[in-house]
Amino acid sequence: MRALLLLAALGAVAAATTENFVGHQVLRIVPSSDAELQKVRELQELEHLELDFWLSPRGLGDPVDIRVPFPSLQPLKAHLEANGVPYSIMIEDVQALVDLEQMQMLRRRRFVPRSTSTFDYTSYHTLEEIYAFMDLLVAENPNLVSKLEIGHTTENRPIYVLKFSKGGTNRPAIWIDTGIHSREWVTQASGVWFAKKIVQEQDQGLANILDQMDIFLEIVTNPDGFAFTHTSNRMWRKTRSKHSGSLCVGVDPNRNWDAGFGGSGASSNPCSETYRGPYANSEPEVKAIVDFVKNHGNIKAFISIHSYSQLLLYPYGYTTTAVPDKEELHQVAKEAVAALSSLYGTNYKYGSIITTIYQASGGTIDWTYNQGIKYSFTFELRDTGRYGFLLPASQIVPTAQETWKALEVIMAHTRGHLY
Amino acid sequence: MPGLRAALPAALLLLSSFPPAAAKQPPWPWVPGVMHALNPSDSQASAAARTALHYSNYHGASPSRLRALHQVLKATVKAIPEVGMKYYMHFTTEDYITGEDAGSCLATVLYLKKSPPQVYIKCTHTQDKKQIHEEDNRFYQYLQHRKKPIIASNIPDSYGNIDRDHLALWGLAIAGSSCIMWERSREKLAYFVAQVKAVKQWIRKDSAVEFEFMILLHETPTQKIDLCHMHLIWILGHPLEVKYICTSDSHGLEDGSGQDSGSAAGMFHGKEGNF
Repeated sequence: MRALLLLAALGAVAAATTENFVGHQVLRIVPSSDAELQKVRELQELEHLELDFWLSPRGLGDPVDIRVPFPSLQPLKAHLEANGVPYSIMIEDVQALVDLEQMQMLRRRRFVPRSTSTFDYTSYHTLEEIYAFMDLLVAENPNLVSKLEIGHTTENRPIYVLKFSKGGTNRPAIWIDTGIHSREWVTQASGVWFAKKIVQEQDQGLANILDQMDIFLEIVTNPDGFAFTHTSNRMWRKTRSKHSGSLCVGVDPNRNWDAGFGGSGASSNPCSETYRGPYANSEPEVKAIVDFVKNHGNIKAFISIHSYSQLLLYPYGYTTTAVPDKEELHQVAKEAVAALSSLYGTNYKYGSIITTIYQASGGTIDWTYNQGIKYSFTFELRDTGRYGFLLPASQIVPTAQETWKALEVIMAHTRGHLY
Repeated sequence: MPGLRAALPAALLLLSSFPPAAAKQPPWPWVPGVMHALNPSDSQASAAARTALHYSNYHGASPSRLRALHQVLKATVKAIPEVGMKYYMHFTTEDYITGEDAGSCLATVLYLKKSPPQVYIKCTHTQDKKQIHEEDNRFYQYLQHRKKPIIASNIPDSYGNIDRDHLALWGLAIAGSSCIMWERSREKLAYFVAQVKAVKQWIRKDSAVEFEFMILLHETPTQKIDLCHMHLIWILGHPLEVKYICTSDSHGLEDGSGQDSGSAAGMFHGKEGNF
């Protein structure tokens, strides 16, 4: 009994909350007498040793496997030896095994990264994983990054925006959003990459911009839809709102803005993929951004990112009337596309929404432009139809890299032409 | 339409000397009978080029030789009163599966209101014809000699992955789907293959190869995802025999559960499909 108390005392001293398994061993004991069995059973009461019984004591001849944290190894072994309980070392280093398994889990996308350096940017992630990433990024860069909750979705999920700021008050800002259409997975994945890139470039390529401006990045603009693409329907585009009178679910969040709302280029049929919604800003995902933009009042560039088609577009989508700043926007788009192509030779077309793609009313950047945000652009990322929405994960990083080149052009131009 | 073949030399003449680009604001007030030049980056021109390629990919009946649009070089359009809009194009292509340069094509596409577009297309051959024949043959023999039917689903999967073993099958699905896409294309309606949801082979005693597919097509500008049940019979060297029926989007099945990515086995009935 005295020995046990000693062991407990030693264990208490040694007890440390370990986060990893470096130095941990797994010992195997096969009790061959009642005395041995009793001794092993008593070990279970020593909580300070933090013994993790992989196989609990049962009967004579039944193996007992115990994962032993490093600090408890010596005390425990000494105790077993002193009591004549034979043991063998089954696993010499649990961490090595865990590493291997984690590597395998990484491939199965169940790896829980502990920093944004170990986060896998070459895979698609779930909503939970992306939200966890955001928290990690903020925790690692508290002086640059903060997370804002700008609203809640229909299914009550929080809507988050990352703010990148080096100070000041209500500085002129750049807004980037990805994932407004949930099935366009390469966009949310690129958004994650952009977040990390902004942090990496804060004192280099982005120093000039961040000295004067803030950047807002909404990575998952349609969280309900995104969750749905993981759990139920990979091809889901819209929100998940239910408006009375219809069995069909969801509104096209890129037809729900108050710009040309109700006109051609959107559907009034709730079952349509381009359903505009019962009224403008009916969708909390859209309303949240509208409120944010209006309250901020100082956003100078607004970039909304979609896939696929490889296009860079400026307003309008709802009318053929050219925007007053057409010449300038066209020129910026031209330069941005040239920069994008310079990386991997990816071909982009550019122009106004209505002439380049098709008529669309109630669109995001038509509204933002009409709010006075001159540098309003929409991207359609890779590819041009071969994989479409199902873009291979191997293309995430190249897509994000080339798109970033275009974003740099837009941001630099905005910074050099503040209004 | 016999006149189409004669139109090619005329088209060539026109393409080489088309009028300066007319000012363009949709809806285009096309003067009937007059050729209007299109900006090659015009989305209409790309759509017409893709329609021509759907036709070509289907009629080529070759899973190893499929083309995707690379770039439109020149395009003109003419309104034919009471009939439709006719596009004349010169464009470059790439191999659908590998992305390699696959030569260029000249094509005309006459969009009709209620029938499949009339297409004429002629392409240069950069790919080794012999190699393509061999690949098709190898795949065909492999399929023919199978005792156990191939069953697969989600090509590509949600993450864009395609098993190497399924690449040729993907090709066959696209060749067959191209029939559907060509027939349904209209001047303002275009299609892409979003995903091969399910494939099941029917083992035959004769020399033909038979498959049932569930294909998801992405329709623009509506953004709809159409689910098409396609039945395909392939005899090497012969045109593909394609029968299909499509539902417009699974919205009709919407009850909160949405469309699920069930296993292929669950998609097919025991009996042979009968449309």
